[in-house]
Amino acid sequence: MIEDLPFPFELPEELQLPVLEALQRVVDPEVAMNIVDVGLVYGVKLAGHEIQLEITMTSAACPVADVIMDDIERELDRVLPPEYTVRTELVWDPPWTPDRMSESARNFMGW
Amino acid sequence: MRTPAREQPRRGDAASPATRVLAVALLLCIASALLSAVAGGLLRAGVPLARAGAPDWLGQAALQHAALMICAFMGTVIAVERAVAVKLALAWLAPAASALAGPALLLGQPALGGALLVLSGAAFVAVNVVVVQRQSEPHTWLLLASAAAWLAGNALFAAGFAPAAVVPWWFAFLVMTIAAERLEMTRLMRRRRGALPALVGLLALLAAASAWSAFDPVIGGLLYGAALLGLAVWLLAFDIARRTLFTQGLSRYMAVCLLGGYGWLAVGGLAWAATALGAPARDTALHALGLGFVFSMMMGHAPVILPAVARVKLLFGWPFYLPLALLHGSLLMRLGLRAVDAGWLPRGAELNAAAIALFALTAIGAVLAWNRKDALQARRPRASRRSESSRPG
Repeated sequence: MIEDLPFPFELPEELQLPVLEALQRVVDPEVAMNIVDVGLVYGVKLAGHEIQLEITMTSAACPVADVIMDDIERELDRVLPPEYTVRTELVWDPPWTPDRMSESARNFMGW
Repeated sequence: MRTPAREQPRRGDAASPATRVLAVALLLCIASALLSAVAGGLLRAGVPLARAGAPDWLGQAALQHAALMICAFMGTVIAVERAVAVKLALAWLAPAASALAGPALLLGQPALGGALLVLSGAAFVAVNVVVVQRQSEPHTWLLLASAAAWLAGNALFAAGFAPAAVVPWWFAFLVMTIAAERLEMTRLMRRRRGALPALVGLLALLAAASAWSAFDPVIGGLLYGAALLGLAVWLLAFDIARRTLFTQGLSRYMAVCLLGGYGWLAVGGLAWAATALGAPARDTALHALGLGFVFSMMMGHAPVILPAVARVKLLFGWPFYLPLALLHGSLLMRLGLRAVDAGWLPRGAELNAAAIALFALTAIGAVLAWNRKDALQARRPRASRRSESSRPG
């Protein structure tokens, strides 16, 4: 059971690790950190056979949102059993703040 | 059994044939703006591109080098980037108008070109008002200010003001855009107290100096150069590139592009101030800034931005360092060696152009390499969907 994540992570136990590891492979190249560490993931849950994700971006002027969402879907498709689908939603509320960064991300950025 | 995602409508795809035609037309305008701007720049640097009987457009390209490069090319690319981010059909008016200004200028219609640029600048200001409404943060306000600087420069250009009054605004637009985007990234670092007010102060000085340059080129130019130099120091002190330099792959490459660019920004600032005092450093000021700083930023961000705006994937690799090295090396030769031998101006300019061409080839090669790798990987059908919530504000 994965605990201590700063966002709701409501998945059956057998999916938790593969999904989390898939999300940790999605890297924002500009900051050289994955989206989980930057704190862009707001929530992951299962509805029927659909994995529903809420993610955000650090800037509303950022054009790479679609690329990051593509990468999330690509990485999840590689690890999920075929009966599951993925729905990614881009949300702006609450706005991202540096408080959402993980301990390792903050260390990397010299906090 | 999952339905292949490719059969589902996806946001961001050019769905209708009309959209595709418009996208191709926009791409052709952007490419022709870059090519003609480079050709015009080479002519201005004394490269004998055409002997007697040069086509009219080539003469116009030399005459309108700055407008083509900064507005029809870079301005269009930046406006495309913002239109992709805000996802509003009307936001495409800004890049469409600035893209059309290119052919208008090349056909010797500066009045039409100027009018299109004013329209584009005004539309771009409106787009950035939308961005600020969605997210009211210092960096989005700076993006709005950069759009206003572009509109100011375009309005002065349309009204027939001399380059000395117009070009500072145009560079202020580019510099403020980059500074705003870097400011956003500094949110990931613990920002030192005073860093934000310092940046706002420097950019306010840049805008004031842009306006002042029209009335008093000496004081205006000195203040403008000081603002650029101060900004270079700010970026070197606070940007995350100092940390991402010690990563690897694309992140490290981007950091190298950024830090190299900041060095040229400092050179540009010093040369800008020196030019105001009468030193023959105008070419150094303009091209340390335009090629050393702005193009270095563009080369750094293209591997991230191209996938977002052109819906292609790139495979990053070491070849990206080659055009970057050629850009910085050729600029050193052009700006450093011309004092010893004037022949280094055209020679350096040719190599600058070669760096841009090599970068284009590298990017195309990276797209092909990705496609090849992707075809080799056994891929499973995808069934992903996505949506976007209504935003606050």
